[in-house]
Amino acid sequence: MVIEAAQFLTILATGLFFLCFVFSIFFDVNDLNIIKLISRIYSHSFFLFLSSFLIYVWLAINDNFSVLYIAQHSNTNLPVFYKISSIWSAHEGSMFLWIIFLSLWGAIYNFSVHNNEPLKARTVGVISITTVGFLLFLLLTSNPFETTLPLPPENGADINPVLQDPLLAIHPPTLYLGYVGFVIAFGQAIAFLIEGNSSINWEKQVRFWSIIAWSFLTLGITLGSWWAYYELGWGGYWFWDPVENVALMPWLAATAFIHSLSASSKSSILRIWTILLSILVFSLSLFGAFIVRSGIIDSVHSFANDPERGLYLLAFIGILVMTSLILFSYRFTILISNKRIVSLSKESFISINNIFFGTLIFSTMLGVIYPLMYEFIYDQKISVGAPFYNAIFVPITLLACLFLLFSIESKWQSKLKFAFLNNPLIISFVFSLFIAFLSFKFYSVSRAWTLASLFIGSLIISRYILVIYVYIFHRKFVNIYSVLAHLGLGLLIISIALNNDFSSERALNIKINETETYKNHEITFNNLQLTEGPNYESVKADFIIENKNGNKFSLNPEKRKYFVRGQITTETAIHASLLKDIYLTIGDQLDDGSWIVNVQFNYFIRWIWFSATLMIISGLFLARSLNRVHS
Amino acid sequence: MKPVRKKRLQTVLLILVTSALGSFLIIRALDSNLDFFYTPSEIFLEEIPENKRIKIGGMVLESSVIREKTKISFIVTDYQGSISVEFDGIVPDLFKEGSGVVVLGYLKDKTIIAEEVLAKHDENYMPPSIDIEK
Repeated sequence: MVIEAAQFLTILATGLFFLCFVFSIFFDVNDLNIIKLISRIYSHSFFLFLSSFLIYVWLAINDNFSVLYIAQHSNTNLPVFYKISSIWSAHEGSMFLWIIFLSLWGAIYNFSVHNNEPLKARTVGVISITTVGFLLFLLLTSNPFETTLPLPPENGADINPVLQDPLLAIHPPTLYLGYVGFVIAFGQAIAFLIEGNSSINWEKQVRFWSIIAWSFLTLGITLGSWWAYYELGWGGYWFWDPVENVALMPWLAATAFIHSLSASSKSSILRIWTILLSILVFSLSLFGAFIVRSGIIDSVHSFANDPERGLYLLAFIGILVMTSLILFSYRFTILISNKRIVSLSKESFISINNIFFGTLIFSTMLGVIYPLMYEFIYDQKISVGAPFYNAIFVPITLLACLFLLFSIESKWQSKLKFAFLNNPLIISFVFSLFIAFLSFKFYSVSRAWTLASLFIGSLIISRYILVIYVYIFHRKFVNIYSVLAHLGLGLLIISIALNNDFSSERALNIKINETETYKNHEITFNNLQLTEGPNYESVKADFIIENKNGNKFSLNPEKRKYFVRGQITTETAIHASLLKDIYLTIGDQLDDGSWIVNVQFNYFIRWIWFSATLMIISGLFLARSLNRVHS
Repeated sequence: MKPVRKKRLQTVLLILVTSALGSFLIIRALDSNLDFFYTPSEIFLEEIPENKRIKIGGMVLESSVIREKTKISFIVTDYQGSISVEFDGIVPDLFKEGSGVVVLGYLKDKTIIAEEVLAKHDENYMPPSIDIEK
């Protein structure tokens, strides 16, 4: 009964959202009453839809297994937290959450923008029709409201144990918030094109939202990467899995977008870039949804294969992209700025880096869809692994960083002057060469790409530290959050390079009370015990690690078997220190009673998380500072 | 040709040439880094160079798993052909005799020296191109 009410609310909201769209297109949005009406309808339909979702959450908390989806993915034994997160542990529910967030962004935008301009009404209209597209997808192909009546099961089928992790409960929501957050930028870009008035500075209004969305997207990706690191037991942080790639593509596009925005919100000079990129970011987010939800690609993440869903999403994305591009070419003349991009100006370097970002996106896209095309044409299965992505990403990223450095020196709309010798770039250049030389000489870093990355990373860091110096001692204005975010980039490049160069692993065959030595560390297998958790039993090993300074600590890797599904999972044990993680996993027991244990030394991995966190926090603060300027 | 037109033509040509060159380099990088997927019955049908990374998918043959210290060897089969695999390290939790596996590695003396052994995180998983009633 209650679930039908929830479904009805969602259907009602779909209708109202559609009404919003119709009003924004076919009515005169210069009329203040119409603008207010559209805004009001949107708020109402959002609240109807939100109540539908809240009812659903309430049903999940109360173990209402008459709802098919809840019966399939939850269980009475689960803590409340996981009962809620089970909603987004599979396709239907996570789609539900995705649309909630989509309309939530629209609602926040609708509440907080008070200017009552036609642009706002049109933007709300575009957000509404996008929401309708997804709501129809939900209701027609992936209905979360289906029931098991008349015979609801006694208990649910439980959530997949690898998903029973606090981090994984919050990873999808943050990622989704990032993905769909760009609907505001997309909506405003389309609204701007519909309006066709080149004097509107839509870029300025959209910067705040886009940087917040970018921060969430970065956070979502980082959380996923961190989870994969400690949960999956492979010890890596990025696997170039197709589903990681479809999250990376919108991130790259979004990064290019927010940089172009900062240029075109000052003058409308990079407008063609910003419009195209806003369409690209949002389409790539939707493309990600298509890849994950059509089951077209095998991946750890993908949901079950369903061609009907894939076709719907593909058609939806197709219509959205085609309409946007037709509109774009129709309004092309108003986008052309009468000012030309001055060569060697800040805008020119941003444009060049946009091309590099484009190349990275293109290559990633190729890596994702090439296997599909290849199999279709040659009937031969292939896959594209890390070597391809490394071959593309390493050189292009480093090259882009060089242009980043030039752009620090350059000014908006004027030519960069090569007054080099007096330049801070020389100081950082010498410093970075010195760093690279030291690492080569004393720390046996010998791979060319690692040295190059060290050099470029140090260049960025030292150059930005000089910027901070000037900021503090000469009171010269700089955007401090942007500086911090780029320090994060420099640090990220160095940490990734060093992690790749220094990390190592070895499998050991060891019995209880035996000691093995690996890289100056004595690893003693102390004990093994059987324990029981709330919904699993586990084998817990106790290892004592002693390093060459005589410091001792214990590590307890586990193997768990979950009762309901009988699934076995590996729990890693990690000892983190400033420079490296010691990372243990246990494998199988052999016939002679010994165990296989994998030991990894993962260098600088914490620094990778730290760099990403620095970028996220800087992004959020940057958005906050922008908002203050506006109000 | 007018100078303005000439300049525009030059720009267009420059863009075309650089993007063609870029695409060529990317596709070349792609082509030299593809991992081909074979089933055990397909693998001996063609010459595969030793330095070419390949993927093998199939089922782990019953009672073919031999462990020696940290090394493990087993036979992957599609019930029409089979190939032996050697691996040093920990196999995934879902690795079992009689269940599906994907191996990434190099072919050497009719044996796959594995870099990675994957079992899908789904108990109902079957490697794509095999649908055989056991």
